[in-house]
Amino acid sequence: MLRDLLGTVAEVPEIARAIDAIPTGVTGYDQWGFSPEQSKLLYSLGYRAYRYFRPVIEGIENVPSGRVLIVPNHSGQLPFDGLVVAVACLLQAQPPRLVRPMAERWFPTLPFLNVALSRAGVVTGDPLTCRNLLEAENAILVFPEGARGSGKVWSHRYRLVDFGRGFMRLALQTGSRIVPVSVVGAEESIISLTDVKPLARFLHTPYFPISPFLPLLGPLAYVPLPTRFYVTFGEPMRFEGPFDDEDEAIDAKVRVVKDRVQSMIDEGLAKRPGVF
Amino acid sequence: MPAKVALITGIAGGLARDVGRELQLRGFGVVGVDYRPTTRPLDYPATVYQANYNKTKVEDIFRRHQPSHVLHLGRVGNLKEQAGKRFDLNVVGSQKVMDLAVRYGARRLVVLSTFHIYGAHPQNHIPIGEDDPLRAGGDFPQIADAIQLDNLALHWVYRHPEVRTVLLRPSNVVGAHLHNAISGFLRQRVIPVMLGFDPMVQFIHADDLCDAVLTVTEHDAVGVFNVTGVGALPWREAVAIAGGRALPLPSSLAAAYLAVAGRFAPALPPYLVNFFKHPCIISDAALRAAFDWEPRIEQAEAVRRTVTDTRA
Repeated sequence: MLRDLLGTVAEVPEIARAIDAIPTGVTGYDQWGFSPEQSKLLYSLGYRAYRYFRPVIEGIENVPSGRVLIVPNHSGQLPFDGLVVAVACLLQAQPPRLVRPMAERWFPTLPFLNVALSRAGVVTGDPLTCRNLLEAENAILVFPEGARGSGKVWSHRYRLVDFGRGFMRLALQTGSRIVPVSVVGAEESIISLTDVKPLARFLHTPYFPISPFLPLLGPLAYVPLPTRFYVTFGEPMRFEGPFDDEDEAIDAKVRVVKDRVQSMIDEGLAKRPGVF
Repeated sequence: MPAKVALITGIAGGLARDVGRELQLRGFGVVGVDYRPTTRPLDYPATVYQANYNKTKVEDIFRRHQPSHVLHLGRVGNLKEQAGKRFDLNVVGSQKVMDLAVRYGARRLVVLSTFHIYGAHPQNHIPIGEDDPLRAGGDFPQIADAIQLDNLALHWVYRHPEVRTVLLRPSNVVGAHLHNAISGFLRQRVIPVMLGFDPMVQFIHADDLCDAVLTVTEHDAVGVFNVTGVGALPWREAVAIAGGRALPLPSSLAAAYLAVAGRFAPALPPYLVNFFKHPCIISDAALRAAFDWEPRIEQAEAVRRTVTDTRA
């Protein structure tokens, strides 16, 4: 099905080389639906979006080999931040890393997208799935803010919402390191003045953003602006303690990661030369 | 009379027939039972009875043959059978067979269940382990008899340790000589697929399942175990390998299509439509660890072998 849909997408040689260089151990498909061959086409498509945002990547050498949770802030209404982080790990990390992004639990119900994203390595945000992948020494891309983060309105831009605890419990359970990541620039790519919750409920979406350009551009207001993304990978963090500890104990550890990501965002904002 | 006697239910089906042949070669006396007539005579020495599993005739068979090993492979997967009859055979009948295994001192009981009881759900773990919830009942109550059979056998594992019970939950069982729903479905010229969905699916070839059944039969470990073939592949790829033409349908229409097509050709029951929309991927790690057994046949090969002999 994907070959039919993506038949016209030209494979980017750089992408194909990077995927070929990763010892996935997968010949056809893994049990989650990832296909090294089909992911070359999908990442080639993603590469075009990556180029569109002209990202400036810093600290990619902080992505270690072996099991790791990559934890960025989430913003921009659509998950272009995840796409840019994933392509950066593939193209800039030495050796290339293929991240397994964790998606919302309703992602398997999205027609077509569920197939495409699965072939590219996306998995449902399920703790057992994530644990299996970490124990197989994969890199997991997880947004602890979830949809509440990506759906932030303009007045809350670059202010992290509460992080979930799941990623920390998984890190403790599997002995995985956490790489904090800041993404600056995604907030301005699609601006949301407000979230029309009743409309979101009606459409079964997590939020329904209203763009300031809506009166002028209509649906085109949701085409992302070509803002420049500044992505910084922080030094890996390691936490010790029981994974099934009381919520308060886990929260304290989560707060350390959240504060680290927030300070990286603040630094990124202070030093970026401009939005575009 | 041989020291080891295996009573096998479902002997009219391809899998039970294969298992019986192998056991006979390994020195077992083989007694076959099926509620259906065994239209093709067995090509090896065995005593075959036609009997409903819930009738007293089954008791006579146990009394006469005193089986040391009971292999209850005869779950009625033929969903064209009426629900009442399926309940009688799969629940009341299974209880009788398992009860008789205890009463007549069998030392090994192997029960074949199905992975369908886990259900195909967007929130399933991947892979599903034996302790995971059985979601199918919520999606389609028609599976209730299979869930009850599975639960009964699970009780037997712990309530009757003297029988050394093993419960197997296989993925889609396919094979050239099998006439079950999924094998027949793969042999269709036109096979519906869900528009916008292409879940990973798992098959186990009958040869691998036969081998697994033989291994657990002659082993001592007890418990419930998933069993599947090597790897997994997307449903559309399975359709392509089978040589069928994929007919993309929205899921709402797919159930209607299956209901209509089922009247004219082998088709899956409409309520299994979710298995072609969401994944139900099982882990066989526990079986591999307990029995030092592993499947040999890759998914693509399993599908190919299922259609090759019949489509030519």
